[in-house]
Amino acid sequence: MAKLTIDGKEIEVPDGTSLFDACRDARGEALPHFCYHPDLSIAGVCRLCQVEVEGMPKLTIACNTGVRDGMVVHTRNERVTKASTQILEMHLINHPVDCPICDQAGECGLQNQYMNHGLYESKVEMDDKVNKAKAQVIGPHVILDKERCVLCTRCVRFCDEVTGTGEMGIFNRGNRAEIGTAPGVELDNNYSMNTVDICPVGALTGRDFRFQKRVWMLKAATSICPGCATGCNIRIDHEAGRIYRLKPRFNPEVNGRWMCDKGRITYKAVHEDSRLGDPKVAGQPGNWAAVPGAVADLGAKDGFGLIIASPHQSLEEMYLLKTLAGTAPVHGGLTGADLGDKDKLLLDADRTPNRKGLGLLGIEQGEGAALAAVIKSAAGPILIHGGDPAADPAVAEALSGRDIVYIGTHENATAGLAAVVLPGAMWAEKTGIFVNRDGRLQEFRQGVARHGSAREDWRILAELMSVGGLEDAPGSLKAARTGLTPAIGSDTDLNKIPERGFVPGGEVR
Amino acid sequence: MSSSDYKILSARFDRQDGHLLSVYEADGGYKALRMALTSLKPEEIRDVVKESGLRGRGGAGFPTGVKWGFVPEGSPEVYFFVNADESEPGTFKDRYLLDYDPHQTLEGTIISCFAVQAKLAFIYIRGEFGWLVDRVQAAVDEAYAAGYLGKNILGTGYDLDVIVHKGAGAYICGEETGLINSVEGVKGQPRIKPPFPAVAGFLDKPTIVNNVESVASVPWIINNGAEAYKKYGTEKSCGTKLWSVSGPVKNPGVYEIPLGMPFREFFHDYLGGMAEGEELKAVIVGGSSVPVLPASEIMNCNLDYESLMNAGTMLGSGGMIVIPESSDMVELIQVLMHFYFDESCGQCTPCREGTGWLHKIVKKLRRGEGTAADIDLLEHVCNGMAGLTICPLSDAAVMPMRSFIDKFRPEFEALIQETAPVGPVSRWPRGEQE
Amino acid sequence: MNKPVDEKAALRLSPDGAAKVEALIAQYPTKASALMPCIWVIMDEVGHVSEAGVDFLTEKLELTRARVHEVLSFYTMYRTEPQAEYTLQVCHNISCHIMGARPIIAHLEKRLGIRLGETTPDGKFAIEGVECLGACGLGPCLQLGKHLYEHLTPQKTDDLLDSLRKGVVPRADTERDKPSGGEIS
Repeated sequence: MAKLTIDGKEIEVPDGTSLFDACRDARGEALPHFCYHPDLSIAGVCRLCQVEVEGMPKLTIACNTGVRDGMVVHTRNERVTKASTQILEMHLINHPVDCPICDQAGECGLQNQYMNHGLYESKVEMDDKVNKAKAQVIGPHVILDKERCVLCTRCVRFCDEVTGTGEMGIFNRGNRAEIGTAPGVELDNNYSMNTVDICPVGALTGRDFRFQKRVWMLKAATSICPGCATGCNIRIDHEAGRIYRLKPRFNPEVNGRWMCDKGRITYKAVHEDSRLGDPKVAGQPGNWAAVPGAVADLGAKDGFGLIIASPHQSLEEMYLLKTLAGTAPVHGGLTGADLGDKDKLLLDADRTPNRKGLGLLGIEQGEGAALAAVIKSAAGPILIHGGDPAADPAVAEALSGRDIVYIGTHENATAGLAAVVLPGAMWAEKTGIFVNRDGRLQEFRQGVARHGSAREDWRILAELMSVGGLEDAPGSLKAARTGLTPAIGSDTDLNKIPERGFVPGGEVR
Repeated sequence: MSSSDYKILSARFDRQDGHLLSVYEADGGYKALRMALTSLKPEEIRDVVKESGLRGRGGAGFPTGVKWGFVPEGSPEVYFFVNADESEPGTFKDRYLLDYDPHQTLEGTIISCFAVQAKLAFIYIRGEFGWLVDRVQAAVDEAYAAGYLGKNILGTGYDLDVIVHKGAGAYICGEETGLINSVEGVKGQPRIKPPFPAVAGFLDKPTIVNNVESVASVPWIINNGAEAYKKYGTEKSCGTKLWSVSGPVKNPGVYEIPLGMPFREFFHDYLGGMAEGEELKAVIVGGSSVPVLPASEIMNCNLDYESLMNAGTMLGSGGMIVIPESSDMVELIQVLMHFYFDESCGQCTPCREGTGWLHKIVKKLRRGEGTAADIDLLEHVCNGMAGLTICPLSDAAVMPMRSFIDKFRPEFEALIQETAPVGPVSRWPRGEQE
Repeated sequence: MNKPVDEKAALRLSPDGAAKVEALIAQYPTKASALMPCIWVIMDEVGHVSEAGVDFLTEKLELTRARVHEVLSFYTMYRTEPQAEYTLQVCHNISCHIMGARPIIAHLEKRLGIRLGETTPDGKFAIEGVECLGACGLGPCLQLGKHLYEHLTPQKTDDLLDSLRKGVVPRADTERDKPSGGEIS
């Protein structure tokens, strides 16, 4: 351990800690910085995190300095403040004052630093700036403004060190230096939008988000990406019922600070025109009041003959399906559906968020032919919750002519075959638990209001339980979770899931 | 002492054939190498060079033997670089060494490599010395043929290869970690330190980078001993130095003199004073990156590290630029500021933006558009650059800039406008708005 | 000095050049470290490194295009566009400036009818200002490829142009190994 004094405060940190981290611990906030990033190599080029270490004649960059026992450090004295103010000024002199049209406004490193240093008469007004290319599309998801770039090299290091794809570079010398991709090269790896996250200014911005919404109007909800079994932790940025973008949340156990581009655009499905907004009975739009009667007419008062779940749904919903099924079989849907290629970083071959949840509750999946056989051997009405099993021809053939209640979110083949279609909530519109590929239970929380008159799935299932005469229909999600906890053999109260999720019985890889 | 007594480095500068191995050997060349490899241990060589007080001749003046000692003992993979990237304005001595006496540098290189147990050495020659590369390669080829390079040199079991590497036009590659990066095949931008090259340099292995003149001094030191070397120069500035002299003196050129000679003596006896019709105004004594001294001040200096530091400047590379009265100092500083703006590698903000900014402001003054605030602004920008960057290029721009204003302020003030707007200039003056 | 190149074709090096590249890759400790000398092989033969040259380098040395372009754009002497037949690079740094570089530049501009930084319409001559060439006590000086001309005067500059117009690159003072004759003084 090393004992050091930072701004008069004594702290103790493990040997090998960087002075940058020690300063953050002592100060409660990080030193000013652009180029430092915990997941990238040290560049030491922005020069903002310089501090005074007694005994060293020059200021030193904290990011490249290790702590030593007995160090005395000053981060807010006149010498340090003057230096960082001057360096910030250097960053500004060629910076275009694009704030009124720059997406980064409100979450911009330069703006934030400027406010911190009280630079109200900066030289940013200077005419005769160095001009570079602006609004340059460099890939399917990213657009580049070379003038705004502060040359922190984060994007270059990201493409070299994290994705190993090396698309980005910094060309030319001196103040003609500019970032970009090499001629003929596009920034089109599956993690390109992380460069937008790590760019401290508006040089790299997302094409999808461009000019859509001012960031200070956005509200945030914590969620889990539904795109694959990795379960990257994400944040839904939304306003007035619309989602504008997804951002990764830091979870060292799952996704670190990254998420993939495919996951980023999963929010678009929430606002698609094919969303189911109202219940439908026999193809006719109806209302929820008519639903219990319609379901009863199909014979569900005596229970369903078969329930088909899907790995897209939450753990609580799967549990309620089992309760609802009683002695009837519960099938997990198609093993071969929603699969793709795995990549070297985060993207899993399994493109569903909760297949592990099915396993945890003992719900088995099967191939199309096997599921078709199960359908044929089950008598009575069938409840299908989520997914689109009728996309498989064998299953569609087995389902045709049967009495089907379908809880779904979009028009699809299965909805087309169902007598009763009930609009459920998408992942961003409800709260629940997904179990990722490593068996980690993670909670996702509602971000936006539900589409049309769609209802939370647990509530729909509770209603179906009432129709079926079951007495223990839960009155709340909390109640549903209370029943779920022992069902998966967990000690942890599922209403108090840790922020980074947990694996029942310890870590499993 | 006559000038022939101390031709440690320049013994063959007046020959047309001094670059040939046969001539060099006839003069006693490669004796030191033989002695070093067959009868001295690496640490003994390091000690001799340390004791001699030889300091890095590229500009930093760091004791050479001490630098060699930073390589961790027993490192299996060590690299050596001879820095022939000579690009400091006013400096043109290394080219003489490589042009007229490449074997001396080569012998010094091999001995130095042996001292740090390097197995591969690069001679990094700046791209603009394309006219010189073949000569150096020819010397290397001769050395291989004679068994001074390659496997089992002189039967001692020591292996060493030398690659002549050509630069491509970047002053910043003269900074040792910039040079290392350049040879690694990435942009020649300096690295943050720590780690220092002696511990982790080329390919993250221990690396020593020495200037041409530094390694060229080694054979003589090995042949004659540390004490003999210390007879020349002063207590802290031992030995001789090659001075590159440019400007309108009667005899510009490259001179080898012992450190500590008074400038007055050098100026009159060697340089012959100013050329006809010119008067001495100022001297930048160590290559452009050091403070300028007006004539009155330089006349009282001795040409050694300490005396020049006391006078407020630095010995640097010994690139002596003589400035006549007929020169406009603001014009000259614009030339210099353009240089640093052009050569800044661009990776760290204070230098990248500051060098460009200084150049812009000086140009503005010379266009007659400057104000008194602009002279203060120059100082302000310098404050935002000095001591705050990865490498000293930032300081190299600041030192001449500050000193030119400091010593020749009236010339700057003469350029400023009479009536100047105060504060930021609005792009939309009142009265023109709707 | 420079041969015309079809930009769309693959890079075709002479057998000598191709052999040089292989030898460099064998000599240097890593493929990446051989980048600079390999670029020089292309520069010496073709006069510039086109995208075809970049293709060649990325493939031979297993480097990304970004890396190769970074290096190409960083150094003054590497060029990615076809160059004039004779690029006259005059040092405009401090010592040469004091000794009269600007008048030499002005003289060249007058003689060639172009400004500093431009190329003559026939593509034969270009004038560039460059930084210190390491001939400070021997200035003003001018570099033409591997030929360094020192102690320039307007007359010497005229002689240089005359010689180049005849297609002869005169021997420079630094070329001590070349047989004398045809020097400009």
